[in-house]
Amino acid sequence: MSAPIISVRNLTKRFGEFTAVDRLAIDVAPGSIFAFLGANGSGKSTTIRMLIGLLRPTEGSIEVDGVDVIRHPRRVRDHIGYMGQKVSLYPGLSLRENVEFYAGLHGLAGPELEARWGALRERFELSDAEAERPENLPAGLRQRAGLALATLHRPRVLFLDEPTAGVDVHSRGLFWELIREEADAGRTVFVTTHFLEEVDYCDWASFIDEGKLIANAVPEDLRRRYSGGYRVHIDGEPAQELTTPAIDDAFFAELDPLLAVRPGARVRIDSPSMTDVFRRVIAESTGARRAQP
Amino acid sequence: MSVQPSLRLRGLRKRFGQRSALDGVDLTLEGPQIVGIVGPDGAGKTTLLRAIAGLLEIAADEASVLGFDLRKDVRALKAQIGYVPQSFSLHRDLSVYENLRFTARLHRLGNEEFERRTESLLARTGLLPFADRPAGALSGGMKQKLSIANALLPEPALLALDEPTAGVDVMARDEIWRILEERRGKSLVLISTSYLDETEACDRLLYLDEGRVVAQGTPAELRAQVPVRLLRAWGSDPRAIAKAAGALPYVVSARVRGPFARIEIAAEELPGEARLYADFAGLVPRVRLLEPAPVDMESALLFLSRKQTQGTSAP
Repeated sequence: MSAPIISVRNLTKRFGEFTAVDRLAIDVAPGSIFAFLGANGSGKSTTIRMLIGLLRPTEGSIEVDGVDVIRHPRRVRDHIGYMGQKVSLYPGLSLRENVEFYAGLHGLAGPELEARWGALRERFELSDAEAERPENLPAGLRQRAGLALATLHRPRVLFLDEPTAGVDVHSRGLFWELIREEADAGRTVFVTTHFLEEVDYCDWASFIDEGKLIANAVPEDLRRRYSGGYRVHIDGEPAQELTTPAIDDAFFAELDPLLAVRPGARVRIDSPSMTDVFRRVIAESTGARRAQP
Repeated sequence: MSVQPSLRLRGLRKRFGQRSALDGVDLTLEGPQIVGIVGPDGAGKTTLLRAIAGLLEIAADEASVLGFDLRKDVRALKAQIGYVPQSFSLHRDLSVYENLRFTARLHRLGNEEFERRTESLLARTGLLPFADRPAGALSGGMKQKLSIANALLPEPALLALDEPTAGVDVMARDEIWRILEERRGKSLVLISTSYLDETEACDRLLYLDEGRVVAQGTPAELRAQVPVRLLRAWGSDPRAIAKAAGALPYVVSARVRGPFARIEIAAEELPGEARLYADFAGLVPRVRLLEPAPVDMESALLFLSRKQTQGTSAP
């Protein structure tokens, strides 16, 4: 991997006796979509607040796009865009007024703002919403507007905290297409979600439990490690079932001869769901914790 | 309760100022079951749940819930309904236990009965260790479980839950659903949700759009209505495969989903098998395996949302 754009070492946050984040180490590749997962209260939001310079860690180091966030918490702000679950749009102001407000914070104005906003408005399908106040917009549209504002100043890293919570399936699909376009344009996306099937849109997934990293891999490796694998059914005479940890070259090397002797045979594949994968991640972690003295 | 819970709505309407939130809902439900309410944001799901819970003044040709008329005095109805709103609305400064006791008093539940039910509800929701914690200090998932325990305390014949699992982690969702499963044969449970796996767990689904029920049935019936064929194309570069497949004239949508490209084809435009396989065999990069997959709830809901959009934009 090229040099990470986010690099976190030994990150710890204690509130009195309570350890919210416990010696966390993560690296995020530039231009990737990084899923940051965990149960409610597992330390996700605390970690994000530290990464964006809003909360000072008890221990550890954080580097985001070359900025030492602990030493220079304010300097990181021009490098990042942030969007929370409760979108940070001001109610009472129209979307257009929100845009001007945010642009002003980043010194974006005049023809440069018009060009940038014009392109985003088009691509995010926000033209009809421009005069509306955010509180009057449906959730899916409001989330798209939130993303447009977070990326307005062309940040290098986007932090999105549960951007699709309570959003319908159609808007979620659109939203993930936009996230992928942002990543393709070179932006790094650090995103949390409870729709675990959305992990399949991501390049990497980290899962934390009680402030500790308990899984950290590309999604297919998590499937390999935390499921019974893909179940493959081949029709034909005779029918055949096989199990494979991944649908990869090794699998096709095994499959192709089986199909060669069954011309036109149908193949059905049962994929392990990401939701089940993470149920197992959690169960194993809980089991390991209970086994400790 | 020996009477079967039932609901009968005809032409149910609700306006907020100029805006029509419910625009003639027709709906009949008989007997205990779990009914999922789905549809795009702003379709009227919350308003429908609130109307059924007797919280709104509505207009209708008929509006009978548990035998009570929604257009008349609904105080007696409210005693038999458990309602969980989208945002947490219990007393933040009271403890978990005190919140439940407060609700028990409103429902004039005897002490012994209250203790018995509370103990069981707290155990099932995993809230027992937190009984003395102020509700405001609970995590998001625990707040939702408390809201549900609170709604279940009077053992209501009808339970209306507005996105109880939005922003809730998978373990807490599993716990919430175990509790709902126990009510499946006992209460009429109405739940709105945007999780696809939860819609699959419902006995029946209502698809709402622009204030009307535009489709309903069991999850299997809704899937069967969808004139879409689903294919999965596997290969070493699923993103490039999705892009190439999207250019085929009969493909409705082609999206990467982890290790494969998920491809939807309009059933009426489905080419013959030979041509379909030949087309995919000719794609660059190479498709190693083309797999016909059963239509899932994602395809069903996306189809319904496309159909409504096209319907309303037609001249």
